[in-house]
Amino acid sequence: MAVLHAWRAARVTPLGELHAPPRMTAVLVRLIVQVVLVASLWNGLYDRTTVSAGMSREQAVTYAVLAVLASRLRELDQYAGRDTVIQHMHFGTIVYWYLRPLSPARYHALRALGEQVYGAAWALAGYVVCLAAGVVQPPGSAAVGGVFVLSMLLGQLVLYHVMLLLDQMCFWTVRNSAAMLILIFAQNLMSGVYAPLWFFPAWFRTLSTFLPFQATLNVPLSLYVGRIELSDAPLQLAIQAGWVVLLHLFTRFLWRRAARRVISQGG
Amino acid sequence: MIGSIEVRSLSRSFHTTVRRPGFTGALRSLVNPERAVKHAVSDISFDVAPGELLALLGPNGAGKSTTIKMLTGILTPTSGEARVAGVVPYEDRERNARNIGAVFGQRTQLWWDLPVRESFAILRDIYEVPGAEHAARLKEFDDILELSSFWDTRVRHLSLGQRVRCDLAAALLHDPPVVFLDEPTIGMDVVVKEQVREFLRHQVEQRGRTVLLTTHDMTEVERLAERVVLVNHGRLVLDGTLDEIRRKYGSTWQVRATLADAHTDVVPPPGITLLRQEGPQVVFGPDGPDAPTVHQALKAVIERYEVTGIAIDEADLEDVMRAAYVHAGPGAEGA
Repeated sequence: MAVLHAWRAARVTPLGELHAPPRMTAVLVRLIVQVVLVASLWNGLYDRTTVSAGMSREQAVTYAVLAVLASRLRELDQYAGRDTVIQHMHFGTIVYWYLRPLSPARYHALRALGEQVYGAAWALAGYVVCLAAGVVQPPGSAAVGGVFVLSMLLGQLVLYHVMLLLDQMCFWTVRNSAAMLILIFAQNLMSGVYAPLWFFPAWFRTLSTFLPFQATLNVPLSLYVGRIELSDAPLQLAIQAGWVVLLHLFTRFLWRRAARRVISQGG
Repeated sequence: MIGSIEVRSLSRSFHTTVRRPGFTGALRSLVNPERAVKHAVSDISFDVAPGELLALLGPNGAGKSTTIKMLTGILTPTSGEARVAGVVPYEDRERNARNIGAVFGQRTQLWWDLPVRESFAILRDIYEVPGAEHAARLKEFDDILELSSFWDTRVRHLSLGQRVRCDLAAALLHDPPVVFLDEPTIGMDVVVKEQVREFLRHQVEQRGRTVLLTTHDMTEVERLAERVVLVNHGRLVLDGTLDEIRRKYGSTWQVRATLADAHTDVVPPPGITLLRQEGPQVVFGPDGPDAPTVHQALKAVIERYEVTGIAIDEADLEDVMRAAYVHAGPGAEGA
């Protein structure tokens, strides 16, 4: 199968970044600024209290900083390189995805895998530095750490499919800028990047359970800081896995439909 | 058959929304859209033999690219059938992909942010080309296209000519028996064009690849193609050799002669007409559908008259194609 040999297509994003040092510098600076500001903000918010929304200062700061680091895992910038669906649709080069012995769905997945592994390297490096500097706390136990890693993987799968939906939209609309803005806002708000979901009203958290965003970050981060007990982990992991299956089936259906749209939109 | 292309009664229609003019029209189109059917390709049939280079010609919007997209498997025909190297391309895209290479004009398949060689390496992996074979083929392409001077450069920094040469190499790295080239030399300078032509000649003559080429560059057609398929308004108008096309549409030659006796009574030979006469200077042209070729006319004029000087003006292929496009208007019958 071509996919076995083509796994190296996953190196497209890391290679592209390594060939563009200014982009890497920008990522580094942004990450440092974001971590410093977020840690300062949450430390400041806890100046007059020790526990809020069921979270201690350490839990809140750790959650917020990890959320910043984790948001690096999948860059939402679709204009940085030309190898994104929106760019291929714009330049009409999407036809080449259909001229190779590797299906567009598999190629897209390989590309995303490389992108997420590359992002994970950044996040991990940031995590090690923050842990050493005492900005974030280590997981409560090895079991918590293990469950966190599993939950994070599932969360990234959910995020991949959400991003894929956005890409697939381009086959019908060519451009997806408006949808992307909405999605970025929804993703950041409802996954816990802006603030831990525990600080939002109950109705908001209930609403979030019907959407996939909280499964991307809130669940793994809450497990990490202990806001979700280890005993509740199986249910949360099952919900995450459910989202993965649901989104996978839906996006697979859309890939089949999208193949019929290649010419009329990207010819 | 490996390397052959068979096209039988291929048709493709698109459903489009008619855009009414003006604000009210736009509003009406939004609320109550009017649908129309556009026949991009209608009932086209032709064959390309293994190792043959066929030029698929026609004016803009004639249906050339749509035909190529059906043959590459990107687009499914509304009716008819096509086989490329024995595979129905739109039914088995991935198998077809191994048999074909394609270049679509200025649209690059290379990875924009990566050096060209990285793009080649990714394609090698996707097509499962063994490393030694890949290296040998790269060397062969480099010998003609001179890629090595810029293949470590990122694609975004290449000139158009460099990029298209790399795209050609990328399309052939997996050694496909059939190659589709949709206006590959558009916008390139004459030196690079010649380099590309040499490369294509090499691929057809030495490697036996079947090439289906669309272009508006008639020099390219003259240098590369022996056979031409002409389409217009989605229909096949002519399928024949360049000579046949010249005979059918290129009879716009003129024979200019200087007669030894200015008072000669000029009665042109059959199939030839007298266009002008100024003293001893006479100009002959073709007359009717049975007009002779320019060389036959030249012989006839010399045999009939005593001439002190003679010259011919033959329409070039561009003139011929212009005449063919004009004749092949809507509703033209296939030749």
